[in-house]
Amino acid sequence: MKDADWDRLLRQSLASEAEPNEELNASLVRQLKERNEMKPKYKKRLSVGLLAAVLLVVLSVSAYAANQLFSAKQVAERLGDRMLAEAFESKDAVQINQSKASGDYRFTLHGLVSGAGLSEFSPSSEELSLDRMYAVVSIARQDGKPMPNTADDEYGLDPFFVSPLIKGQKPWQVNIFTMNGGYGETVVDGVTYRMIECDQVEIFADRGVYLAIASGTAFFSNNAFGYDEGTGEIYAKEDYSGASLLFDLPLDAAKANPAQAEAYLDALLNPSPAPDSGDNERSDDTVEDKGIALIQNVQAKMRAGESIGETIPESIQETTAADSGKIKYSYDGWNVTISPDEYFTEGQVGFSEQFSIGGKDDVYRALLFHKDENGVITGRIVILD
Amino acid sequence: MESDELIELVKLHGKSIYGFCCKLTGNRADADDLYQETFLKAVELRFKMDASRNPKSFLISIAVLLHKNHRRKLAWRQRIAPTAELGEAADRFASLASGATPEDALLSLELRTMIREAAHRLNDKLKLPLYMHYTADMTIEEIASVLRIPPGTVKSRLHKARENMRKVLEVDSL
Repeated sequence: MKDADWDRLLRQSLASEAEPNEELNASLVRQLKERNEMKPKYKKRLSVGLLAAVLLVVLSVSAYAANQLFSAKQVAERLGDRMLAEAFESKDAVQINQSKASGDYRFTLHGLVSGAGLSEFSPSSEELSLDRMYAVVSIARQDGKPMPNTADDEYGLDPFFVSPLIKGQKPWQVNIFTMNGGYGETVVDGVTYRMIECDQVEIFADRGVYLAIASGTAFFSNNAFGYDEGTGEIYAKEDYSGASLLFDLPLDAAKANPAQAEAYLDALLNPSPAPDSGDNERSDDTVEDKGIALIQNVQAKMRAGESIGETIPESIQETTAADSGKIKYSYDGWNVTISPDEYFTEGQVGFSEQFSIGGKDDVYRALLFHKDENGVITGRIVILD
Repeated sequence: MESDELIELVKLHGKSIYGFCCKLTGNRADADDLYQETFLKAVELRFKMDASRNPKSFLISIAVLLHKNHRRKLAWRQRIAPTAELGEAADRFASLASGATPEDALLSLELRTMIREAAHRLNDKLKLPLYMHYTADMTIEEIASVLRIPPGTVKSRLHKARENMRKVLEVDSL
């Protein structure tokens, strides 16, 4: 069946022949009239609405846009975080309500708040004492179409990157993801609200902190933002295919803490290994250092012609030929196969400078190889002094 | 908007709103209730409706909301005995009366009944735009504004609904 036929058939089949009967309509009209005489509550709401409309006309256009949207407090409430909602109302919170358009979208930065223990959902009890930063951003389409609901198939098809960035720090190294960040998102009346959180950025207030937003990517993208290594400026790239823009975060410079900021960046950019592995590495290091020192000591003595220790007489044995030109030496648990080329240069006679060392209970033994004029290679074990 | 204007709307759009309610609920008794509630709710919400807005879309959106609410509460007159589908029975008589020949009428009646049943079995996500488009005669843009989804999504849901029904009919007619 052709699509057009199918369409017509559907229209015929699904068109309803049913009509409301006259009795039903008469009853409905009667009820509608009754309700009209009851002077419903809506008039009160209408007058409040009118008052709001008058106030809005007085306010500036950008404030109008922000007023139509939810506040940071309401967004936190919607995301079920009452503690944080209260924090957004506190005197420490910064109300911003700035809007900027880029690409297909209009972004509004509502406000931010920083501090410790502000959220009901702090990552873990250990991190309760850490200062965190929370900010709310809304995203609406410029063409007035609604943003997809979180349950819609289209939700997340055009992802967004929303992150604080710090002036003078490479944005791909220092962003919401490296600063232990995350976000919560809700869609109300066709507007997406995203609440981000990460380690606090107020300590960087003297350097300058941006809030970066890009569409088409969930992560930092070099296509959306550029970084000037000379000045430390971060900028939105104009030729980016999606939306990309920066808000300057109006942080209180008095709250900057250069020492803490430096320590934070140091920990972030030069992560120290976990304590356990660190210990192991240190002990490995000391063993290795000791071994190198021992070998160097033995080599020095050999060059000077000094005695390096006591040779075990039984260990002096001629090596036997092994596969592919290699030679083999075996004595009391030492089973070594070596390539003579690596131990002796052409025409070299006497002891090789190459040797291996084994140690047990603080007694170190060295396996030395010696080549005589006839080219015969013998091995021996020396107990080192 | 005043009640008088709403009463005018009952005359103007009553039939298509009622038809939509019938499809949505599947029986006349529930359709009557939904139809009345839709207009009464519109009285409460009329301050939201301005002249520029499409009153039919507005009424349909109320019907959809009420229907969803009833479904959610699962208290939509849960009757012990299944309700008779009077609407469909009436439709069958109507189709028979208008049919060209008895055979044609029967064939077409069978097919139409299958289509209606297949449509009724769809989930709300697909069913709502389908009934809005074919029963309430709404455009893609009108449906998009009522369901608050992009027009592209309406198109894809309509497409999915048609495809699902086509598959059901293919299986049923085997």
